[in-house]
Parts: sequence; C-alpha cells; structure tokens
Amino acid sequence: MPQSAYSKIDRTILDTLKPAGRSYWIGVGLLGLGVLVGAACWTYQLLVGIGVGGQNNPVGWGTYLINFVFWVGIAHSGTLISAILHLFRAGWRNPIARAAETMTVFAVCTAGLFPFIHLGRAWMVYFMLPVPNQRNLWPNFQSPLMFDVVAISTYLTVSVMFWYTGMLPDLAIIRDRAAGMRKKIFTVLSLGWTGAHEEWRHYSRAYLFFAALATPLVISVHSVVSWDFALGIAPGWHTTIFAPYFVAGAIHSGLAMVLTLLIPLRSMFKLKEIITLRVLENIAKTIIFTGLIVGFAYGTEFFIAWYSHNSVETTVFAWRATGHYSVEFWIMVICNTTIPLLFFFRKVRTHIIPLFVISVLINVGMWFERFVIIITSVARDFIPHAWGLYAPTLVEFGIMLGTFCLFFFAFALFVKHLPSVSMTEMKEVTAP
Amino acid sequence: MDRRTFLKLSGSCAISISAGCNSEPAKHLFSMVRAPQDMVAGQPTWYATTCRECPAGCGMLAKIREGRVIKVEGNPLHAINRGRLCMRGQATLQGIYNPDRIKTALLKHNGKFKPISYARALSLLAQRSRQAADRGPDRVYVLTESVGEFVHAHFSKTLAALNSTRLMVFEPFAYEALKTANRQIFGLDGLCAYRMQTADLIVSLGADFLETWLSPVEYARKFKAMHAARGNAKTGRFFHIGPYRSLTAANADRWLACRPGAEAFVAMGLIRQALNAGAGGALGPAAQQTLRELTAGYRLEKVAAVSGISTDILQHLSQVMLASRRPLFLGTPSAACGPNALQANIGANLLQRILDPELQRIDFNGRHRVETAHRRSEIYSFCRQLAADPQGVLLLHNANLRHCLPPQNGIARALAEKTLFTVSFSNFMDATTRHADLVLPVRLPLESWGEYGGKAGLVSTLQPAMPALTGAPHLVDVLAALIPDVRPGGRYARHSLYTHLKHTGVLRNRLQWTQTLQKGGIFQKFAAEDRPPLPELAEGPHMDALRAMVPPQAGGLSLIAAPSIRVFDGRGANRPWLSEIPDPLTKVAWQTPVQVHPATLAQRGLAQGSVVRVQSEKGVLETPAYASHGTIPDVLIMEIGQGHAGFGRYAQKESVNPFHLFPARTDARSGGPAFYTPLTTIKDSGQRADIVHTDGSRTQHGRQIALAVPVSDLVEGKRPPAPGLTMETFPLTLPLPAGYDKKRDFYPAHPHSRYRWSMIVDLDRCIGCGACAAACYAENNLAVVGKARMLEGREMSWMRIERYLDPEHPERVIFLPMLCQHCDNAPCEPVCPVYAPHHSKEGINNQIYNRCIGTRFCSQNCPYKVRRFNWFDWQRPDPLPLQLNPDVTVRAKGVMEKCSFCVQRIKDAHDRAKNAKRAVFDGEVTPACAQTCPTQALTFGNLMDPHSRVARLVHNPRAYQVMGYLNTKPAVIYLKKVIWEG
Repeated sequence: MPQSAYSKIDRTILDTLKPAGRSYWIGVGLLGLGVLVGAACWTYQLLVGIGVGGQNNPVGWGTYLINFVFWVGIAHSGTLISAILHLFRAGWRNPIARAAETMTVFAVCTAGLFPFIHLGRAWMVYFMLPVPNQRNLWPNFQSPLMFDVVAISTYLTVSVMFWYTGMLPDLAIIRDRAAGMRKKIFTVLSLGWTGAHEEWRHYSRAYLFFAALATPLVISVHSVVSWDFALGIAPGWHTTIFAPYFVAGAIHSGLAMVLTLLIPLRSMFKLKEIITLRVLENIAKTIIFTGLIVGFAYGTEFFIAWYSHNSVETTVFAWRATGHYSVEFWIMVICNTTIPLLFFFRKVRTHIIPLFVISVLINVGMWFERFVIIITSVARDFIPHAWGLYAPTLVEFGIMLGTFCLFFFAFALFVKHLPSVSMTEMKEVTAP
Repeated sequence: MDRRTFLKLSGSCAISISAGCNSEPAKHLFSMVRAPQDMVAGQPTWYATTCRECPAGCGMLAKIREGRVIKVEGNPLHAINRGRLCMRGQATLQGIYNPDRIKTALLKHNGKFKPISYARALSLLAQRSRQAADRGPDRVYVLTESVGEFVHAHFSKTLAALNSTRLMVFEPFAYEALKTANRQIFGLDGLCAYRMQTADLIVSLGADFLETWLSPVEYARKFKAMHAARGNAKTGRFFHIGPYRSLTAANADRWLACRPGAEAFVAMGLIRQALNAGAGGALGPAAQQTLRELTAGYRLEKVAAVSGISTDILQHLSQVMLASRRPLFLGTPSAACGPNALQANIGANLLQRILDPELQRIDFNGRHRVETAHRRSEIYSFCRQLAADPQGVLLLHNANLRHCLPPQNGIARALAEKTLFTVSFSNFMDATTRHADLVLPVRLPLESWGEYGGKAGLVSTLQPAMPALTGAPHLVDVLAALIPDVRPGGRYARHSLYTHLKHTGVLRNRLQWTQTLQKGGIFQKFAAEDRPPLPELAEGPHMDALRAMVPPQAGGLSLIAAPSIRVFDGRGANRPWLSEIPDPLTKVAWQTPVQVHPATLAQRGLAQGSVVRVQSEKGVLETPAYASHGTIPDVLIMEIGQGHAGFGRYAQKESVNPFHLFPARTDARSGGPAFYTPLTTIKDSGQRADIVHTDGSRTQHGRQIALAVPVSDLVEGKRPPAPGLTMETFPLTLPLPAGYDKKRDFYPAHPHSRYRWSMIVDLDRCIGCGACAAACYAENNLAVVGKARMLEGREMSWMRIERYLDPEHPERVIFLPMLCQHCDNAPCEPVCPVYAPHHSKEGINNQIYNRCIGTRFCSQNCPYKVRRFNWFDWQRPDPLPLQLNPDVTVRAKGVMEKCSFCVQRIKDAHDRAKNAKRAVFDGEVTPACAQTCPTQALTFGNLMDPHSRVARLVHNPRAYQVMGYLNTKPAVIYLKKVIWEG
C-alpha cells in the first residue's frame, strides 16, 4: 500500500466535508423548520405569558427545567471523553472525542436557552448579571440559580475553547486543501497554523492544560445544577447525594447520547474503520458502570427516605413509585438501570442495532429521571392542601421540539462543514 | 414628482394625520381645580352606610379614594356586626363596578330590549301606572326584597296614590316555620334575636347561623363569644343536628347526622328527657301533662332508630343538656329542609321554655328585619292570582322570583302576558328582569340615601358613598315620580330620608342628623318593649302540629338545597370574588356540584366528577357529583345560587339551579317551602366533568399543620413533649433573636429595629367562613382568574382557608387560614437570584415586584405554598379597575406575589406615627383579613413590643407554628383548636 495510513485518515475524514446531497439538505431543512416551530412557540409565550405552559402552583417548574437539566447532562460526556479520558491516555477516545466535544458545545448552548425560556420575564434577565447600576442592586450569590449562571457560562467558555484549540491543526489541513472562498475562511479559522515544531509544542501543552482545566468542570457543573434542587427544602430534593447522583446521571445520559449520535454518523459518512465497534463497545461498558451508579443512587434515595422516619419524605417517595406519575417513574428506573445491564452480554454491546436502541432508551429514561425529580417533589410537598399535578402543554412540546431540532440542526451542519473526527488525534494512535 | 403632486400628497397626509390621530379623551376622575370638598388626593375618605347584600343589615364603612369606593369594611360602631363583614359584604363593590351592570333604562320591543333614556322610562312608567290605577283598585303591584322602613314607606305611599295595597316582600329564606313556632310558643309574631353569647350550650336543629341564618356576622361573633377557649378553659358547647354538614355543623363540637325531618324527633326526645328530669315546671301542670303524654313515645332508643343517630350520642347530648345552666335551642336552617321543619322549630322553642323558663337567651326586642318578608304561601298565591288575572303594572325590586322559586308557580305565565306591564328596578339582567317589559335600573345601595335597620331598635342609614356610576335615579325618586304633585330629583331622596327619620321620632335636630350619618345610624337601644305574654301551651296549634309529625323517609334518595355562604340565594353569583373563593367545605370554586355521600356513589358505580342525572317528580338535572362526607348516605346536597339564566358573565350557567327539581308547594301549617325533595333516581350520564376544587388532599396526613388539643389537656395544663428536632417535638422558634440557637442555626438572627410584625391565628376561633380571603381580594388587587385557570392550579388568593378532615372521622373538620408566614428564616429569600423576596427591617418578607424576573424558585422552595405567580396579564373588564386600591401595585404577568401583611397599611401607620412623633401603637395596623374576621381569629401586631396582644398570645400554651420543624421561624403563629372529646 503506497499510501500511508495518515493520508488515508485525512482522506476519509475530508471526504465527509464534500458537498452534501439533497437528502442531507432536506434533513437540515426539516430540522430548521422544527427550530422555527420552537421559536414561534416561545414568541407566543413571551407575548401571552408563561401560563401557556403547564406550570402551576405547586409545580412551578415544568419541561423547561427538565430539558435544561437534560441538556446539561448530555453536555457532560463530551468533556469527560475528551478531557478526562485524554488525561488517562485512553486511546479509544480519540476517534470520538471531537464529536463528543461538539455535542457538549451544542448541548450547553441548548441547555442555556432554557433558563431564559423558563423565566416569567425573560426580558429582565440582565438583572442576574452583576452589572453596575445606580441603585447598587447586586445579584444574590447565595442563590443556586446564580451558581448556575456562573457554572454554565464557565463551562461553555472552557468547552468552546477546548473544542476550538483541538480543532486548529485540522482546520489548517482543510485550509491547505481548499480553494477559493473556502480557503479564505479556513485561513482565518486556522489562525495561521503552520505546523512548526514550536507550534506543536505549545499546542500539546495548551491542550493538556485545557484538559486539566475542564476535568473539574465535569464534576462541578452538574453538581451545581443538582444544587438547584439540593439547596431547596422540598422533600426528595434536600439531600446530600444529589451532586454525585446528578454527575453520574449526566455522564450516563451523555454517553448514551454519544452512541445515539455516532452510530448514524459512522454509517452515513463511512467512518466505520475509524470509529470502530471496539470504541462503541468501550462506551457501552462505561454505560454499564454509570447505570449501576445511578441505580445505586435511586436505591439510596428510597433507603434514606425510609430511614429518616420523616412522613413528608416517605410520602413523596412512596408516591413516586405508586402515584400519579408512577409510569414515568418506572420508565426512569427500567430505562436507566435495568436495560443498560443488557450490555453485560457481548452480543448486545457488539451489535449496532441493540446499541442504538438501548442508547435511545437511556436518553428517554434520563429525561424522565429529570421529570420525576422536578415534578413529583413539589407536587407532594409539605402542605397537603396545596398538592397538585402538572401536565405539559402543546406550547411546551413545541418549544421542546424546537430545541431538540436546534441541537440536531447544529450538529448536522457541523458534521458537513468541520471535521467530525480529529485527524490529528487519529494519527496519534495510528502507526504511520 | 412634480410640484403639484407633491403639494397634493403632503396636503392629504397632513389632513389624514390630523384627522386620524385624536388625542385620548380626558379620563380624569376628578379635577384638582374643582375637587369635592372632603377630597384630598391620596387620602381616603370614609362614609358610613349599611350593607344590603342580605337582609341582616350590617353596618358598613365605604373607603373612598379620589372619588370612588375602593373598599368596604364593617362599621365598628354598628350594633349588629361591630366592624366585621362576611365575604358577601366585602364583595358589595363588585356590584357597583360589575361589568354587566345595566347602564341605561331598557324597554322591551318585539321581545328585544332597546335602550331608552331614564326620563322616558320614568314618564312611561308614570303613564302606565296611572292607567292601571284608573282601571280600578289594586292594579299596581310591588314585589320587593326585604327593604328598610324608609323605602317600605315610600312603596306604600306610592301604592296608595295609585289606588293599590298590593305590596309583597319576597325573600327566598323567609323563616316561615320559625316565625310560626315563635308565635305559637313565644307569642311573638316575628323573628326574635338570640343572646347566644350568654349561653353555655347551643343545640341547633340545623340553624346555619354562621352562613346565612338571620344575621350571620352577628351570630358568628356571639357564637365565638360563648364557644372560644379563654385562657386555659373552655365552657361553651355546641351540638348541631341535621342531615348535612353545613359550615355551622362543621364548627359544632358534635355534628349529629340525622335523616331529613328527624330533627323534630330529636327535639321531642330531648323534651321527654327534660321533663323526666323534672324540668318544665314553669309551663304549668296542664302543659306539662300534655307534653309528657305527647313525648311519651319518644324514648331515645326510638329517636335513634328514626333519626339514624346512635343512642349513645343522644344520651350524651341529653346529659350535657340537662347539666347545662344556660342552654339555647335553635331551629331549622334558613332553607328549612325535611318534612317536619315547623315541628323542629316548635321543639326547639319548647325546649327553650322548659330549660330557660325566663327566656333569658331570647331577645324579644332586637327582632330581625327579615320578618317583614311574606310567607312563601302568600307569595305563591300572589303569583297565582297574577297569573289568573294579569292586568296592571308589576314593579319588581330585586325580587328574582324566576331564579329563587321552583317553576310552575305562575309567575312565568304572568310575566309573559302583555297585559301586565312589568318593570324591574334591577341593575342586572337576571332571570326575572329578562322577562320584564321595562328595565329601569335604580341606584345601588352604595350610591343611595336610605335606611335599613337589620334589627328592630336600631336605625342604620345609607348614604351615597360615591356619585352614581350609571346616572340611574334613586328608587325613592322613581317612586315619588309616580305620585302626582311630588317633584323628585335634586336633593329629594336625602331630604325625604331626613323627613322620614324626623317623623318616626328618631331625629330631633339637624345636628343629630349629621351625627347619625357620620356614625352610620343610631345604635343605642330604644326603650325596651314589653315582652309579649307567653302563650299557654297545654293545647293549641303547636300540639296539633306535633301530633301530625311524619316519620322521616328511611331509604330512598332525597335532595336538599342548601343556602350558600358565598352567594346567599344566588344574588352574589355575579360577583367574581364570591365564585373564585372556594366553598369553605367542599373547596369547590365556581361550580356547585351535587354533593353525594361516597357510599351512595360507590353503590351506583359513580365517582367524584361523574356527571349524574338527578331526577325528581318535577324534573331532571345533569350535574357533576362531588363525593362528600358532609351528608348522610342517600341524601344529596346542592348549593343554592348558581345555574342562572342571564345575570352576566360571572354567573355560572353550566351549574344548575336545584329549584328546578322542587314542587311549588308549601307546608299547610307554616306556609313555608321545603328545601327538600325526594328523588326518583340518580343515574350516570356517562360524561365526566372536572371539579374545580382547590384542595390537593382532604386530610393532613398526620403532619403538624392544623392541630387541635382536647379540653382536658388544656385544663390540666399538659406540657408539650421535650423539645427535639423532629416534626412533633420541634420547639416554638419565635421570629426574634430569641428564636435562634447556635445548634440549629447557621446564620445569625435578623436585627429588627423596634418592629417585628407578626400574626396570631386562633384556630379555635376560625370558623372557615372565608371573609378574610374576600377582604384580601379587595384590599390587595388580587386577580380573578376564572374557572379554567383555577383547574390548572393558578388561583391568586394570598389568603386561603385550608380545610382538613379527620382521616378516621371524615365528618370532623378543622380550618386553617394559610397566608405568607413571613418567616424569619425564609426559604424563599436565599434562592432568588435577584433579591426580589426581601427581608425588611421590620421582619416582613417583602416581594419586590419590579425586581422579580419570574424564576419561581421562591414558590418551589416555599413549604407553605403561599406564593402566587402571575401566569398571564389578568383581565379586569371595565369598570372593575375602578375598584383597584391605588396604594397597591397591580402586578403584571411574569412576577411572583404573595401576602404582604398589608404593607400599605403599615406604611400608613408609620406615616401617622412619624407625624405625631410617636411609635406605632398596638392595634393601629390591622390587615384587611384581620379587620373583617367576624370571630376575631386573627390578631396582628408587633412582636417586639412586650405589651402587644401578639406578644402576649405567643405565650399561650396552644401556640405552635405550622411545619415549625423546618426551622423557618414563621411570624404567623397558630393557636391550636380546642376540642371536646366524646
């Protein structure tokens, strides 16, 4: 084989950037339409009032916060894969690191929309920024929601920079092979990368530092999100297990989302040789681990509720399993803890279809986990007279559709315009 | 473009702009140049007047700001209500500002109403009544609600001038059975008052005196005067006997659920017990002997079998009754139900004469004005006569017969006849007014001169608190215009009131007139009339009645139409507050579902929310069912007051009017109707309906929310368990530095300066009537969200009455007013990212509306769930916004709100105190809820002032905090309800 393995990698990956066919653009167009539906729904909500959603008293938070936590959770695995596994020198993460990081960036952006959507007066959101003003009003840094603002924006900044830094050599490769307008754009994007030895030295240092910087964020961001609940006093929220429980759940859902995205990607762009089944299998094995942690957390919550002898606490947990939202509860339990156990069977975790189906089911399960946490606790809290139920409305579904479409829309554009697998990192693990 | 085109275009532009853009028409409520004499912008003016929402006639103060009434409160000087109002009284405002109020006179032409001028309507009315008078005597008829002597005299005078005497006073609850019993037993042809406060035992055979009966605000106060715990003692007891749990029954120590009509049997049984115990000597031997013979058959075992009450409870009641030194026996409810209503009242009165020979509990002087209402039998015969000979002119004054009477009484036929010219003075298009020929709205009581003494022996004046909103004339002006040679208009109404009071000997001079108007009336008792001689009881019509008692229906379904504390007979149904505030017992807002015992529902495979077809001999109604433990099996309860034809947008049309199932019959002896009818079937219609109930759970699941303490524990001074950290043992943690403990608290106490506002809620005094909630709606500009939004859980009430049933005895009830607890360690405060909930230096948890961005975290974190979010911009159709309190912000969509402890009143008191260079004294600030509470269950004050009432009350052994173990240190401190065991 005269061609080196390196140029094969380049070619395979650059092939994904060739002009797309009609079906791709139809798909992108449909996703764009979905985004417009969501935007229309949000506009309607801004004009009429947040009441067009299903939130009420006592359930003041609905799908907006569920989706927020869901997308923040999804955002976790990208950094986990690209940063933590990079520090651990787990070579199998190299083919998927870029896609996972991209997923992180778009998921954080999507998640970041929801606190705005959820606000009663979205137009006053700047009150949350520490902007100097003549009344000396300052945001309340005691509030977990302020923690969120800080944590999410830090996470977004760091993950975007990490993502972009990692992409620099790849952008230069594209620049070198592009012509015309495209060349000009990539010249700017690649920031004059020449591939000099000094540049490589600085680059690999920077990448390592970013990885080290991003690692604590993986833990901190979802811990902070969990404090939105754990620092509240509602039964089922006010518990110390929440931070690790949320982090494990986030990684669980993030890994599942990576599978959900990569499996179609590798068949669509003929990346089967690069994103091998072994990589997918490794993800599946990690999912078994995170699934067990999540299952343990579920069990612990029930144990503590029983052990506390607090009737408010026990009522909520008994109600979760048997009450009005028991279907949602059991979807959560089965999809997140039981179904991933199927990955113990080699046949299941080495077949594309079961891998894909299970990954989608875990995503569904994790969405319902957030539903169960956010809805049931306040629906059955301290004062029985004020108990109530919640059901999402069409507007909420419209906004949810819009944001899911936005995520996939952005991701679809990404895979066709930027390298979805890191050529540089692939070369690191390939013999020349 | 050439020059000419340019000029043409610019010319036409200029014209269209100047023609199209009118400036907004001026909307000044008042002119600062020519402001009314007593008006200072920003300062309220108060006018004393009288509430006319029901016949009780409570004194009322109208608060005027910038020329319009924005709030009504009870008149503290008034003898009836002593400064308190019920929720209907509070909602008076929504009558004058009702968006469906008729603004002009309307004349029916070819079946349709056309607006005409008031002058034309008046001349038409004068002409038609003159024609009718010319045709012969008694051709002009008046059907009015219960009115004061002043208006009554005007009606009589006008009728006399028109050669007629047919003046009928119609009240749907006219107490015929009670009146008859009073005549037969007390020799009083009318309705005496009761000195409830002096009793140590009340036995009510259904009288719902906390809701609609005679004078609910007055009796609620007097009831709590005898029944509430004082210090560590409680002496008063109250037994309620009746087939359904009214609010009054829910406040009784025991509710003895009996079959409809069995109350009289219980009374007979009790008479037998009393006579056997040697009481009744004052009746004379003959009467004693007859009664002994008559009641011989009513052994308690037999009474128990007939009534369905257990013998043990009857035995207990009988023992308590015989041990009581000052018992009071009350008769049947306002809507007397059951076949033996007259006998029950006779029984109650007989018991009173046997056990209270001096009749000290009976006030023969303070007779209730509603006694002037005609008996239902007379109303029916009037209607039938009118239907038989529909000639002349019928004047209707707030008599909504088509709504309040069962159909088939003849009035519908009479109204439909062209030869009878019907004029309605109503301001609302109610079921009867719709069928009038001429609608001539007159001023509502808040805009009128008048007099209405709810009880004999007092004068209670009405004066216009604001200019008439619609330009309608005074009723007395209209009536005077029908008399030749009288020139009404101008100051006629005022002058004629003055002359009336002068002629009746009440006023001596003009000074007294001014004083009377300022005080709202003359309340000192006139010379006590002599008590009418007590009739001899050995024989008489009462004995015949007692001998003719029919045993109550055992088995088979029946329906009771119960008066509503919210809308009375339906006259309040167009006041949105009254529909929005849920019923105290069912917690159902807007609707009046049929209440069915769960066992009866289960038997028929029905559940709450099933739409059932309720059928009687007279008709069939489809209505959702509500599973209620407040009734006995097979007896269905439906609230009176909804199911209107017309009556504006707020009256509920989809609810049904129970009267459609009733026959237009009356009792032969008393002339009263039965608000009770046997049913043939109830069937499932197959549909389901959502019930708009605001309670998430009917029980408190064993939590420390609404607590009660047995009398014996209180008397023995039983100590609470040793303080700990669990829900049951957490100590009282005052919202003061004293309430902080390093072991529990991470943060230091708030440094309050001089004031720490706090409220004490005495659950032993709270009767759950909901007046506080209505006052809060009025004072704080709370939005009405309507039925659909309430179903979604979006009601905006800052103050709600939580109703909890005992899981073991679901017929037992405890009420708990729930409002923002103004916690010292408030969970809502730290979670807001922008400091919208803010702890003030006086301890109030302020909500800064314009800082709020609507994260709703505060509400999520509030364990009491008292925060309300503005999900939308709420609608207030014109002219309802005129009622808004200018001192309180109207909240826009997207912000959180909640009880502010009426911070505007606190600010006001501070301003006054500062001007006078002193501190705010105890009692100077009263939030709207505490102001109106008929039983004084709410006390507000400064906890840092050791001499304030609240500071003294927190040391009460009954004091506790709801869910105190969360260490929120609420400033609303509850006193446990005191219950009698057994």
